[in-house]
Amino acid sequence: MMPVTDIRERQRDLSPGDTTDMALFVRTSEESMEGWDRQRIVDALMRETYIDPDTADAISQEVEVIIRSSTITMVTTPLIRELVDAKLIERGLEEARKQHTRLGMPLYDVNQLIMHPNKENANVPHGPEATNLTLAETIKKEYALLHVFSQEVADAHMRGDIHLHDLGFIDRPYCSGQSLEYIKKFGLNLPNSLSMAKPAKHPEVLLAHMVKFAAGLQSHFAGAIGWDAVNLFFAPYLVGMGDAEVKQLAQMLIFEFSQQAVARGGQAIFTDLNLYWEVPRHFRDVPAIGPNGEFTGKTYNEYLKEAQRFVWALFEVYGEGDGAGRPFFFPKPLVHITEDFFRTPDHERFLNHICSIAAEKGNTYFVFDRGETAKISECCRLSFKLEASDLEDAHQPWKMRYSALQNVTLNLPRIGYVSDGNDTKLFENISRFMDLAVRAHLEKKSFIERLLSLGDKGPLALLTMNQDGESYLRMRRATYLIGMVGLNEMVKVHTGHEMHESKDAFKFGLQVIAHMKLLAEKMSERQGMRFVLEQTPAESTSYRFAKLDMRFHSPQAGYVVKGDIARGEIYYTNSTYLSNDAVINPIERVRQEGLFHPLIEAGSLTHIWLGESRPSAASLANFVTKTFQLTLNDQIAFSPEFTTCNACARTVRGLIARCAYCGSEDVDGITRITGYFTKVSSWNKGKLGELRDRYRNEAFIKKRPDDAQIQISV
Amino acid sequence: MGSIKIFTKRECPKCPAAKEIGDILQQKGQQVQYYDLETPQGLAEAAFYSVLSTPTILVEDEQERILAGWRGAVPTLQEIQGILRA
Repeated sequence: MMPVTDIRERQRDLSPGDTTDMALFVRTSEESMEGWDRQRIVDALMRETYIDPDTADAISQEVEVIIRSSTITMVTTPLIRELVDAKLIERGLEEARKQHTRLGMPLYDVNQLIMHPNKENANVPHGPEATNLTLAETIKKEYALLHVFSQEVADAHMRGDIHLHDLGFIDRPYCSGQSLEYIKKFGLNLPNSLSMAKPAKHPEVLLAHMVKFAAGLQSHFAGAIGWDAVNLFFAPYLVGMGDAEVKQLAQMLIFEFSQQAVARGGQAIFTDLNLYWEVPRHFRDVPAIGPNGEFTGKTYNEYLKEAQRFVWALFEVYGEGDGAGRPFFFPKPLVHITEDFFRTPDHERFLNHICSIAAEKGNTYFVFDRGETAKISECCRLSFKLEASDLEDAHQPWKMRYSALQNVTLNLPRIGYVSDGNDTKLFENISRFMDLAVRAHLEKKSFIERLLSLGDKGPLALLTMNQDGESYLRMRRATYLIGMVGLNEMVKVHTGHEMHESKDAFKFGLQVIAHMKLLAEKMSERQGMRFVLEQTPAESTSYRFAKLDMRFHSPQAGYVVKGDIARGEIYYTNSTYLSNDAVINPIERVRQEGLFHPLIEAGSLTHIWLGESRPSAASLANFVTKTFQLTLNDQIAFSPEFTTCNACARTVRGLIARCAYCGSEDVDGITRITGYFTKVSSWNKGKLGELRDRYRNEAFIKKRPDDAQIQISV
Repeated sequence: MGSIKIFTKRECPKCPAAKEIGDILQQKGQQVQYYDLETPQGLAEAAFYSVLSTPTILVEDEQERILAGWRGAVPTLQEIQGILRA
């Protein structure tokens, strides 16, 4: 039987010079066997490049001669393309070669991919769906770098000056934030779906719509899907339900989102639930939508009790953990702490409740909306401060749909290496890198706009659906993120000190971010777009930048990168964070890191690594209140560590090599990698290096003399 | 004697008054530092001192401890001099 990947000369007795009768079979990309026809080379060159017919014909003849005169018995279309490309290069036709390039992966790489897990994103499990995702991402990544971005931008990415995030999802925006109101009002009417569902009548159906819609959005956005005021918008459906039923619904919601590992690429949907104890001021007088998508005749202010019962129940479920007592990785609960929070009755009891879950399981994120600021959070820490027009939209909350189109991150230590300790050069280089990031955004925007212009016949039909007079994706409200990695190391390269080591070094770090913020504002004005700084989560970027700098800037980089060079576990400190291994009182870390947060419009977060210690709920509540009152920190999360046993399905505190119950070594460590929990076994080397370095605040989490309670000293 | 830090922005109605007080104090020999929030240095210093509104006037002692501050408001010359004398 003929191998499927071959081309075979069936009539070897034919005259070698008689190419027209040379019956070769070529395995084509359409999975068929086709007879040899030199004209196909000419056709492809004419179709895909701008070269003239004579040159195309000459190339096809030369390639035919090579094939005919060789002893090759198996020829594939990729081989023919490579031969044609070589001929294009010989003629100096570089642009034509680029246009004629074939995208794909070597057999060896595909084999590795199918056999071994991908560690670029710890939220991608290993399995056939995940392999599909990675294969598709690889081709789209190449496509993006060759076809969507200019060579200058693509080269800057390849060199590691900047990082273009989610290149494998080049044909989608980055992340999305919305409320339940859209599906409550319009039902589930998605383009290309086989059936249309009217607005939900029952809470369980609303939940089903939410999950389906989230899955639909996941297929159209690269990153997180955030939901605003989830407990409040569910509230009109909960009237008359008993506590047990509300708890059951809460359980369904959390399990549905945490077990979505059957969706795209086997990934759970990166889901953020924004939650409130009070009714946010901008929703108080808004007419509530209830069953059947009808207005209930009441305002949301009248559903405070139901909203509170639901958020309480959600945290009860988080506290119990999954079937093995592990913390839920998704959905992430983000509780907004506002001025009104502290004015709402029973807030102490609720704060204690969510802090006990923070201490026990670590799930709770505390988002601080000080003054009159209102925010919606999505992605790891991305939040949007609502503007006047948004607050106007709040009267019709289904209109509140936000998206960031892309994230581009600057390699700050690289800027340090190439600036030779010269301030002028350093700030000039920051401007140059920022300019590259802006160009990358303009190029991606133009590409997405082309896809959107295809409307309901195009690949982004879901984002162009129009139920309320405007496309689902509101491009006018899109933001373009500019992130940073390794501020701490850049400051070290430039000043000789890390940021926690001297006041001058810390202030210099602030100056760098201030410069970036002012530049982003200037560029926004110039381009009529919203460029905002973001603390890049940098799950793989900090590792990638460190590796590239070791290659291009050694030996200097060897003294600067964090982690263990011998093990290859190297990384740069994420975004504007202080060094992970710095011994700093946690409240002081929250205060100092928080000084950067007002400069970073798209949101920031400070982690408090707890290790295996378990502080009391009361001490965490005190910590949260002080953070709100005394610092400018945007968001904090307490991160404990766990070990879960795959043999006996029990979970214990701390990262240990052997199960404390059954002694099995078949265990998984669990803690936060960046902004979410995941299994340590799925982490890349850079993050493992960071995990080893993390200072877990042991000296500050003290046992009281009576050993009854553990407190964080504030 | 400590120093006075004055944080301003271009389009800020009360900022000229704050600068004027700074100029008077400077003429009397007081060390005054001005920070424009539209420059990286000024914005960085403002971030360091958690300055969110302009004008802001901070009075520091020799050890750079803040003795008094007016955020989004302009004190009288006498109020500042009172702090400096204390």
